[in-house]
Amino acid sequence: MDKNKVKILMAKPGLEGHWRGIIAVSSAFRDAGFEVIYGGHMLPAEIAATAVQEDVDIVGLSILSSNYMRLVSETVKELKDRGRGDVMILLGGIIYKEDFPALKEMGVAEIFLPGTPLDEIVEFVRRNTSEASQKVS
Amino acid sequence: MAGSDEGKVTTASGVPVKDIYTPDDIKHIDYERDIGIPGKPPFTRGVYATMYRGQLWTIRRLTGFNTPEDTNRRYREEYELGQTGFSIAPDISTAVGMDADDPRVSADVGHAGVPIYSVEDMETVFNGLPIEKCSTFLADRVGGLLTPAYFLMAEKRGIPLNQVRGTTANDLCTWSSIDLFNQPPPDGFLRYAVDLIEWCTQNAPRWYPVSFNSYNPRDNGINAVQEMGMLMATVIQYVEEAKRRGRVPLDRFVRRFAFNMAMHSDFFEEIAKLRASRRLLQRIMKERYGIEDPACGQLRVHVQSSGSTHTHQEPLNNLVRIAYQVMAGVLGGAQSIHANGYDEAVCLPTDQAMLLAIRTEQIVALETNVTNTVDPLGGSYYIESLTKELEERAWDYIKKIEDQGGMAEAIKSGWIHREYKKAIIEHERKLASGEITVVGVNKFRLEKEPYEVPIFRPDPRSPDILIERVKRLREQRDDAEVARALKNLEAVVRSEENTFPAIMEAVKAHVTPGEMARIQLEVYGPWTYPIGG
Amino acid sequence: MADGQHVCSASGIPIKNIYTPEDTKDIDYDRDLGLAGQPPFTRGVYPTMYRGRLWTIRRLSGFNTPEETNKLYREEYELGQTGFSVAPDVSTVVGLDADDPWVTADIGHAGVPMSSLEDVQATFEGLPIEKVSTYMADRCGAVNTAMYFVMAEERGLDLQEIRGTTANDLLSWSVPALINQPPPQAYVRYAVDFIEWCTEHAPKWNPVSFDSYNARDCGLNAVQELGMLMATAIQYIEEEKKRGRVSLDRFVRRFSFNTGLHNDFFEEIAKLRAARRMWHRVIRERYGIEDPRCALFRVHVQSSGSTHTTQEPLNNVIRIAYQVLAGVLGGAQSIHANGYDEGVCLPTDQSMLLSIRTEQIAALETNVTNTIDPVGGSYYVESLTNQIEERAWQYVQKIEDMGGMAEAIACGWVHREYMDATIEHERRLASGDITIVGVNKFRMEKEPYEVPIFRWDPEAPDKQIERLKKFKKNRDQSRVNQALQELERVTRSGENVYPAVMEAVRAGGTLGEIAGVQHKVYGVWHHPIGV
Repeated sequence: MDKNKVKILMAKPGLEGHWRGIIAVSSAFRDAGFEVIYGGHMLPAEIAATAVQEDVDIVGLSILSSNYMRLVSETVKELKDRGRGDVMILLGGIIYKEDFPALKEMGVAEIFLPGTPLDEIVEFVRRNTSEASQKVS
Repeated sequence: MAGSDEGKVTTASGVPVKDIYTPDDIKHIDYERDIGIPGKPPFTRGVYATMYRGQLWTIRRLTGFNTPEDTNRRYREEYELGQTGFSIAPDISTAVGMDADDPRVSADVGHAGVPIYSVEDMETVFNGLPIEKCSTFLADRVGGLLTPAYFLMAEKRGIPLNQVRGTTANDLCTWSSIDLFNQPPPDGFLRYAVDLIEWCTQNAPRWYPVSFNSYNPRDNGINAVQEMGMLMATVIQYVEEAKRRGRVPLDRFVRRFAFNMAMHSDFFEEIAKLRASRRLLQRIMKERYGIEDPACGQLRVHVQSSGSTHTHQEPLNNLVRIAYQVMAGVLGGAQSIHANGYDEAVCLPTDQAMLLAIRTEQIVALETNVTNTVDPLGGSYYIESLTKELEERAWDYIKKIEDQGGMAEAIKSGWIHREYKKAIIEHERKLASGEITVVGVNKFRLEKEPYEVPIFRPDPRSPDILIERVKRLREQRDDAEVARALKNLEAVVRSEENTFPAIMEAVKAHVTPGEMARIQLEVYGPWTYPIGG
Repeated sequence: MADGQHVCSASGIPIKNIYTPEDTKDIDYDRDLGLAGQPPFTRGVYPTMYRGRLWTIRRLSGFNTPEETNKLYREEYELGQTGFSVAPDVSTVVGLDADDPWVTADIGHAGVPMSSLEDVQATFEGLPIEKVSTYMADRCGAVNTAMYFVMAEERGLDLQEIRGTTANDLLSWSVPALINQPPPQAYVRYAVDFIEWCTEHAPKWNPVSFDSYNARDCGLNAVQELGMLMATAIQYIEEEKKRGRVSLDRFVRRFSFNTGLHNDFFEEIAKLRAARRMWHRVIRERYGIEDPRCALFRVHVQSSGSTHTTQEPLNNVIRIAYQVLAGVLGGAQSIHANGYDEGVCLPTDQSMLLSIRTEQIAALETNVTNTIDPVGGSYYVESLTNQIEERAWQYVQKIEDMGGMAEAIACGWVHREYMDATIEHERRLASGDITIVGVNKFRMEKEPYEVPIFRWDPEAPDKQIERLKKFKKNRDQSRVNQALQELERVTRSGENVYPAVMEAVRAGGTLGEIAGVQHKVYGVWHHPIGV
């Protein structure tokens, strides 16, 4: 396994079916040279288990149904419970700006709203993972 | 409106509308003769060959408030946001020609626009703005200070006058529709107006020295046909005056006529109105005055969404109304568009309303693809029928005004104002009966106002600031120069000479608008608007 | 768009500087346009269109709980909305009951939860369903519709008179990546069963609304949208032709349609005109159905959510205004104007009001309803209509060559079209080929507008779970079991399942239980979405 390649798990912890954003971002990540695992619909526990199994650096969550507070906090808890509280969490979808501080408090590294240029997201990952990929395995 | 009874459905101006139009309805229309290609007579499809594919319309919004400094700040914001031309709304004191310290006007100083009393004030308004890159519309009082001040500012900045681009309102039609205090009679108006046009043909050939404007009359309740009729009758009045004077060849005189019209609610009627107006003007120039140069028959028009259609109830609904009116302006082929703030009926535009107005025009221009082709509605059975019908009815109305002796005479005699009054009363009747629907007002009216919108408040300190400024201006200027300039100006006004050079001199000497207006009224006498009673 | 060489419509049709009589000289008025309400229906499906009756203001809505949705529906009705349209929540669309742990986080989101007959009854409490019509965006199998019908029965209404529409549409179903769905061919089985049943038992109900709205929001263009729409309808007709149980004219008689309304103003108008002519040709020429009433492309349109930005949400009022106008000029029968905050949250009261007002202003102030098909005859619009039709036929042919729509979905082709369109859209945004004001052009650092935000009720799931518990306790469990068994039997036998579905609902079966039978027989299918 290429330890220098950033590994990202992309998932939807809720059940609503919008996939356009997650596909666009996943493609951009793949084109940028990151290793992308497309998880689709996964419960928070599944997301955490996969993150551990695949030893990912980043979990990207896509939520468009306004239930993000609950879904994000569950996902964070599941990751912590499995000893992977270090995983970077990125969130995309329909998120109210007023909730950003609370989400960041929960552990979300960054939130990307619709209309964010894809290269901005890629840049963010690049900028913030040179340390992440050097974690102790 | 939407009834199923044949014969009862009409446009807003009363043209009967059939349930469907077919090729039969336009079989007497000759494409080459009546519709043609854009950029060529009769210009029905557009004044320029490529229209918006070549260049988008100008986003130009009439703006002005508080003080020249505040207005400058707003202009810079608008420019940053993507507005592409400026338009000065003068305050009431400037429009009536009274200085800030005239007690009759103290409650109105700084309201509804920006007061500009000197070249320095004009320079403040345009501080840091590239007037050589944009064009400016000046809604000046006739014989007023704005135009000379703008020209003097340009000269000071090293821009040769024959390069300066912009427009002076200078229009009898709109002037007739507003009951402004302290005005000369129509023939006095005409004298100054035609002087400016003559002067510009020689000295500022890229400037539009008149913008025939039917926007305000339309807001008085007249319909699209009357709007076209009054507009064209005014054009004819000016050309007749130039003909009478015989100083400037007619083709040069009319070469830079500009136009300003309203965009009202009846979507297709407004589009057809613009198309018909282009054909009308071209026919007036070519057939009535024998002017061959096709460039003289081009109706270059600025349009503005009709303020009278915007409600103070549920102001956000006006976003929708304005969106449709802007679209109609685009489909009608306007060169320049002012989208009102949605809060037009509530206050002067707030930042939010201003932004939305600009965004409306940008969305039409850049997202809807309606600019992809010229005159996209050309050929539509309904549109071509309606265009023709409106043109015919407008001719009839022009004739009516001619029968009164022409536009100036019709205004003086009160005939025009009786038309306004009839229209206003008729509009109220239709509102009360429900023949006209205004959503949220006479239909679907809510008890409690559902939207909260920010409100604009004028700065209460502005009047004092401006009074101080005018006083200081008078103290600091050279009294001898002023006296000379005033004497000269009066002499010229009393003669038959062109007044504009003397006005320029006066403004250079820091004569104020109030002082210039006083001479105007001494020579021509004040005129009482024939409304009321 | 200043380059004269490369000006195209949003779907890529090259656009000339000007269109003249030359461009329309081959159009035969009677053959290609005609009057409204007459074949080929290009100018409109009805003879008087809006002069006779305005379009329906029908907005897809629903949230939190049936009670709150009911309250909303009553308000919308008071404000002048003229038809209902039920948005089911995520749990309902997925087909799991509120008490299923998978779905707890999603109850009440994006729509109203409808697990049981009682939920549907609460949603429509006190509303005159006999006076207005209702659109049910029902999941596969039309189970919520069965609940609606049973509710109507219990109110003493005659199912022969009931008006409304069930989505029942393969195309829109294919778009969202939802779990717990049967394979496409199974979807078609259920869909056609429902249509057959309605022709006999609910003849005034529209048993299908072929819906390209979702597909369009993937980034497809107008041509692809039309092509997929027609191909889906053809798929259903072919299925019934194979079964031979119902005469084709009765089968298609109440087909209805649903499309998006996108940004390219004239292209969208032309799309609707082309659609009418195409549908007439499908019915008349391909299937030889004579009755002109079978060839009516009756369409509900909705402003395309994918064009509404999260940035500067008030700008969306303008976009939606134009999209509504395009729908009107295109001759739609029913229009949903989104809330301007579509890109931010579910509609607030303010945005809901504005959307209704948008339609009312277009209907009552602009006079565009004064004449039918006012843009008819325009050299540009007629050319564009022709070109869109031609290209759409080619696209239909592509899908036919793969074996039809169900096959094209099953083999992943349709989803590759969706994903390609999504990626292409991002590329064109990044390059500036497409302009979105306030997003990739004139973008401001600080959000300039403050708008109210809709907040979902965090207690909705518990309320729903409680209600469902009570509902299950109060029913006759053995009756339910029996009904479900029967349902499984007819599902396997190939008979029309719908009578058994109705029985299951009457017995108190829940959506999740009825959907469970679908999976038992057909298995679960995974949407082929991924990178």
